[in-house]
Amino acid sequence: MKIAVCIKQVPDITAPLHIQNGALVFDTNRMVLNAYDASAVEAALVLLENREGSIHLFLLGPDRAKETIRKALAMGAHEATHLLVPDDAALDAYLSASLLAEQLKQHTFDILLCGKQSQDTDAGLTGTMLAEHLALPYATNAVGLTLEDDLVVATRQGDAGQEIMALETPCLVTCSNDMNNPRIPSIKGIMQSKRKPVQTISVTPDATPSTQVMGYEPLPERTPGVQWEGEPLELARRLVHHLNDEARVLS
Amino acid sequence: MSKILTYLAVQDGKIKRASLEVLSHCRALAQEHGWTVESVLLHPDARSLATTAQQYGAETVYYMDHPQLQAHLNAPFLAALHAVITHANPHVVAFASSEAVKDMLGALAVRTQAAVLSDVASFHIIAGGVEAKRPVMASKLIARTQAQGARVLVSVRAGAYTAEEAPTEAALVPLPFTFDVDTLKQQVREVVQDALGTLDLSETQVVVAAGRGVKDEAGKALVTQLADTLGAAIGASRAVVESGLFPASAQVGQTGKVVSPDLYIAVGISGAIQHVAGMQNSRVIVAINKDGDAPIFNYATYGLVGDLYAVLPPLINEIKQVLPTTPE
Ligand SMILES: Cc1cc2nc3c(=O)[nH]c(=O)nc-3n(C[C@H](O)[C@H](O)[C@H](O)COP(=O)(O)OP(=O)(O)OC[C@H]3O[C@@H](n4cnc5c(N)ncnc54)[C@H](O)[C@@H]3O)c2cc1C
Repeated sequence: MKIAVCIKQVPDITAPLHIQNGALVFDTNRMVLNAYDASAVEAALVLLENREGSIHLFLLGPDRAKETIRKALAMGAHEATHLLVPDDAALDAYLSASLLAEQLKQHTFDILLCGKQSQDTDAGLTGTMLAEHLALPYATNAVGLTLEDDLVVATRQGDAGQEIMALETPCLVTCSNDMNNPRIPSIKGIMQSKRKPVQTISVTPDATPSTQVMGYEPLPERTPGVQWEGEPLELARRLVHHLNDEARVLS
Repeated sequence: MSKILTYLAVQDGKIKRASLEVLSHCRALAQEHGWTVESVLLHPDARSLATTAQQYGAETVYYMDHPQLQAHLNAPFLAALHAVITHANPHVVAFASSEAVKDMLGALAVRTQAAVLSDVASFHIIAGGVEAKRPVMASKLIARTQAQGARVLVSVRAGAYTAEEAPTEAALVPLPFTFDVDTLKQQVREVVQDALGTLDLSETQVVVAAGRGVKDEAGKALVTQLADTLGAAIGASRAVVESGLFPASAQVGQTGKVVSPDLYIAVGISGAIQHVAGMQNSRVIVAINKDGDAPIFNYATYGLVGDLYAVLPPLINEIKQVLPTTPE
């Protein structure tokens, strides 16, 4: 069983950030493996627990993203291809998916896994774009993933319920972080990751992006609220009074 | 003349309100720019549902009513949307964001060679494309984003616009569904309905959401009682979805759903940014938390510092007394 996993390095969105002249400034330069991609790597490791196979990572990003490749290798993936670009700010989902697809066409795999979205932009487009480029059957937002004979069985969180999907291989599945808790690499894993093969290929997009961020803005300000302490009955009465007479949301 | 096409999603036999919100916005945009506004319906009952599209101002309604379009599956819906877009040749195609739309949007952009903006909070038309505001970095801020091209797809978060009736004499245009089901390489084996009750979280005006402070079935019963009293849908934080106390379809936040009801009551939720990302646009936010320093209080219109097990019973009683009739 050959599993390919697309991963991405993203800024740590929990760290403080601010806007300077419309541009985004991160107060720390901490970069992390996208949480949804970490779940995709974990899913691949779980699928191979009682099965022969290998996990090949594909990352599109600048030089500093190699730390993120090491992290996923330390979790247990076997090898990686780094599609090197000078700066990933010049890419949008469309260009990223095209570059990844071009590379993936030169490899064979049974399952291609991606995170369902990236933590920084929350766009959630690259996975299904890849599936279309590669003409693969696919499922998105998977919260469960197993193998049954020749079929991949993905549980997809839909709008009102969970859709249990059976897919022929090769197929693509995008993973939710509700699927699993990604393992923390062990010391041994970290040591081994240093000897695992990473192939670096420089790539250039053949077009300018069709979508572009023109600038960043703060959220519209909320009117500051009030905070009450006191006896439960007193709190309940005060709240209902305000909801009814001031906010007028009870009717 | 340029066209804007709105996809009208159907759920429980009705056009989703979020889709009508997007249609209303598209109608306003079309008026402003002298464009035409059209709609597409993909459902076995599409023909009868088309009257709703007319009420909300679509000038042409394309529809396919093949039985295969009863429930969501990406490949047939993608083929259908591709066929409609090729036929209608719109400049902009607008969707209400949902898991079903997220399941198709990227692939549809590639297939129709369109630029695409997903999950926007608002959008308008500019020369050569579309400009939108997209919440990013777990909705800590907004990115002003442009898409340029002969065709732009855009999906809009629920609650961004108001649905307003504007009746038209729309032309109904049936289109053939030619997708060959035998080519399918995936199938839905089963759909496990896990929604709590019948209310759709992203479409109701009141949401009561539970967090880790809700520790057990007794706490869940209180939350359910409060929701029933208010006619509210039930939401949840990731913590209580993970623990199994609440179903995954109730999750609100970056991984879960984005909601913007008139009233959002957060019960025993700390207010992690990934949760807040899904509810901060609610009009009135109530937080009930025993820790007065919990970050959720930074977003709350009304914050109650107290034990939810002690506060909810009198709260439910007090609400019953002011409501004219209690919904079932
Ligand atoms: C990539 C990513 C995506 C995520 N997506 C989501 C998402 O979509 N939705 C989401 O919710 N989270 C999401 N999370 C998780 C998020 O970071 C938090 O872990 C989660 O929201 C915490 O849930 P909570 O507030 O219920 O629990 P906690 O943070 O543990 O808070 C529990 C709160 O309950 C209060 N409490 C305890 N007992 C009582 C009592 N008796 N009465 C009153 N108050 C009480 C406590 O004071 C505390 O503030 C995501 C995380 C990541 C990394």
